[in-house]
Amino acid sequence: MEQLTDEILMAKVAQGNLDILKILFNRHHKHVFNFLHKMCGDKMLSEDLTQEVFYKLMKYRSSYNNGKFISWLFTIARNSMNTHFRRVSKNYEDLDTIDYKLVIQEEEKEDYSDLHLAINKLDPSDRELVILNRFQEIKYEELAQIVGSTPGAVKTKVSRALKKLKTIYIESN
Amino acid sequence: MEKNHIIALIPDYLDNLLDTVQKEKFESHIKNCASCTQELKEYKALFKAFENEEQLEPSPNVQLKFLEQLELEKQGETQVVSIDRAHVKSKNTWTNDLLKIAASVVLLFGAYFFGKQQQSQDNKAEIAQLTNEKMVFKQTAMLSLLENKSASRRIQGVNYVEDLKQPDAPIVKALTDRMLLDENTNVRAAAVEVLAKYTSSETVKDAFIEALKTEKDPGIQIMIIQTLGDIQEKKAATPMRELLKNEETQPFVKEQIESILTTII
Repeated sequence: MEQLTDEILMAKVAQGNLDILKILFNRHHKHVFNFLHKMCGDKMLSEDLTQEVFYKLMKYRSSYNNGKFISWLFTIARNSMNTHFRRVSKNYEDLDTIDYKLVIQEEEKEDYSDLHLAINKLDPSDRELVILNRFQEIKYEELAQIVGSTPGAVKTKVSRALKKLKTIYIESN
Repeated sequence: MEKNHIIALIPDYLDNLLDTVQKEKFESHIKNCASCTQELKEYKALFKAFENEEQLEPSPNVQLKFLEQLELEKQGETQVVSIDRAHVKSKNTWTNDLLKIAASVVLLFGAYFFGKQQQSQDNKAEIAQLTNEKMVFKQTAMLSLLENKSASRRIQGVNYVEDLKQPDAPIVKALTDRMLLDENTNVRAAAVEVLAKYTSSETVKDAFIEALKTEKDPGIQIMIIQTLGDIQEKKAATPMRELLKNEETQPFVKEQIESILTTII
C-alpha cells in the first residue's frame, strides 16, 4: 500500500476506504504546512489550515476526478488560505488586492530566514509560484492546474518571479 | 545567442533541464561574458539558499486532530454537528459545575446565617471537599471517555489527557490499556503518541515494551520502536530481536529496528 501512487490511493479513499487517507496525510501534511507557513508566516494559522485542507479532502473525497493529486491538494490549500484572508479582511476587497504579507516586528526578524524574508517581499501571486515550484518541486504542468493557467505562461511567470526574488535576496545580503 | 536569452536560461541550466545543444551554447557564452557569469553566480547563491532552507515541523496536534476527524467521518457523523454537540455538551457540564458551586455557596451562606454558632472552619472544610469532588468528577469523565464505544470519543479522551501536566496512576493505566488493548488502530496510535511524553515513568516504559510484543500494525510498531530508541531503553532489545526473527514483521519495520538496535546497545 505504501508504494502506490497518490492518485490510486485517493481513488480508493473516494470509493469510501477512508483509512487510506492516513497514508496520504503522512506523505503530504508537512508539505502543505510548510507551503502555508511560507505564504503567511504564521505557524498556528498554518497548522489550523493544514487541518482544514485534510478535512476538506475527507469531506469532498467523492468529487476527486482522478487528476493529479498534488494539484488538487494544493488547489485546496491555496483556496483555504484565500478564503481565510478574505474572511478576515474587513472590507471584502477584491482578492487580488488583499495583501496578506506577514507583518514582521524588528525583534521577530531572526525567526525567519533571509530567504523567507526575501520571498515575503514578492507579491502574493509571485510568492505562491516560487514557493510551490522551488520548495514543493511542483512541475509547471501541475502548477498551471493549481493556479488556473497554462504551463507556458506559468513557466514565464516563475522565471520572472525568480528574477525579482534573486534581486531582492542578493541586495539584502 | 543574445544576452537576455542566456539570462532567462539560467534557472533551467541550474536545474539541469537544458538539452545538450542548449547547454553547450550556454556554457560557451558564459565563458566569455562577465556579466552573465555574475548573474549565474547570484542565481546559484539563491538556489543554494532554497536548498538549505529548513522544513518546519507542525505540532503533533495536527495529526491527532486529523485522526479524530477521520474517526468521526467514518461514523458518518458530520464534523460540524459533532463539534457543536461536543461544545454544547462541555459547556453544559461547565455551567452545571458552576451552578453546583454557586448553589453550594448559597447553601453555605444559608447554613451560615441559619446556624450562627457554626464555626467558619467547618465551612472551609466543606469547600475543600467540594473542590475535591469536582476534580474527581472531571477525572471520571475523562476515564469514561476512554471507555466510550465510539473510537473518536476515545481519541478525544486520549487527547484530553494530554492537557494534564502529571497524569496519575488510574489515568496512566487507562492510557496504557488503550495502547495495548484497543481494537482501533487510530486510538492505539493516539495513545502511543501521548504516552511517549511520559516515558520517565517505569509503568509507561514497561507498557511500551509489552506493546512491542503485541502490536501488529507496522505503523504503530515504528512509533513504539522510535520512542524506545529515543529513551535508549535497553530492556527493549530482546523483544526487538524477536520481531526481527518473526517472519510476519514488515521489512521496513525490520530496517527501523536494525538502525535503532545499534544505538541502544
